[in-house]
Amino acid sequence: EDVLLPAPQNISILSTNMKHFLTWSPVIVQGETVRYSVEFQGEYEREYANESWIPICECSLIAATECNITEDISATVAYNLRVRANAGARRSDWGTLKGFFNRITTSLTPPLMKVIADGYHLLVELEDMGPAFQFCVLYWKKGQESRVQQKVVKEVNSVVHLDTMEAGLDYCVKAQAKVEAINRSSSFSETQCVRAQGGTPVWL
Amino acid sequence: GPCRVSMSMAEIRSGFNAIKANIQARDPIRNLSILSYPHSLHKVKSSERCCITHQLFTFYVDKVFKHCRTEDSYINRKISSIANSFLSVRRNLELCHEQNKCVCGQESLGKLKQILVNYEGLNVTSAAMKSLGELDILLDWVEKES
Repeated sequence: EDVLLPAPQNISILSTNMKHFLTWSPVIVQGETVRYSVEFQGEYEREYANESWIPICECSLIAATECNITEDISATVAYNLRVRANAGARRSDWGTLKGFFNRITTSLTPPLMKVIADGYHLLVELEDMGPAFQFCVLYWKKGQESRVQQKVVKEVNSVVHLDTMEAGLDYCVKAQAKVEAINRSSSFSETQCVRAQGGTPVWL
Repeated sequence: GPCRVSMSMAEIRSGFNAIKANIQARDPIRNLSILSYPHSLHKVKSSERCCITHQLFTFYVDKVFKHCRTEDSYINRKISSIANSFLSVRRNLELCHEQNKCVCGQESLGKLKQILVNYEGLNVTSAAMKSLGELDILLDWVEKES
């Protein structure tokens, strides 16, 4: 008699810096390879398209217990997600994520940042966190914390020039990431300070 | 208008660009435009821009996307992402509407009425696919104006 496969359990989302992954516990069937298929349903599908579900073909009959759903979670609305197990001709019921997922809840980490003193030029190199990200860079002369300057960096494709430094002064920099699509920002990175000295970068 | 909707135009645009050629190839009626006939969106007064944006997003959400299902799973996924983005934007515009900052005047009502006449002049699937294919007209107008 054909025993129904158990539905996948412990279905959850890992979402960091606007990259979203659906994960679940493996379904164990002795002597058989179990494969999984994932589907999503946005708010539009629930309210305007007869609660239809849309398959993610990159996660159709996969052996892994994880699926990158970033490309499909591309609106700031509530999504439903489900996954089903397959073994041979047998299929499980759908296991559905408890509660909705909205990308507004993604966790945002401060950007990796490298501050460079290139001669008298204060430069910063920022981590490329993806197209959804902009950065707010704050910089100031050490000891003059009340006179912080700000630069918004919309695209990270090269080193950013912040200022021309006075010799012998320390300049400090910190940065945060911002995602306009969800109107949220990360915390600030650690502060890094450098000093201009005739073109030889000095780390403090 | 006063309602500046912070919306991820880049995401909608990239979703549309990924399927634009496929969708526009499905539209056999070349000599008619739903959004631009007889007058382009660009002729609309800026004071009525918010209302037209709100109404057009409602038009796409209520009437267009549901009739655009295709046999291609990738296309359907991209249409879903555009539709859900439109839903999210419309919700923001609704807030403006409720705060009375998105008032509709005669001109916008007339313009919207013409779009519906154009839309209903075709069979629903052709009209929906054509409207989806004209999304770049709407996106260009919204981006230009904002």
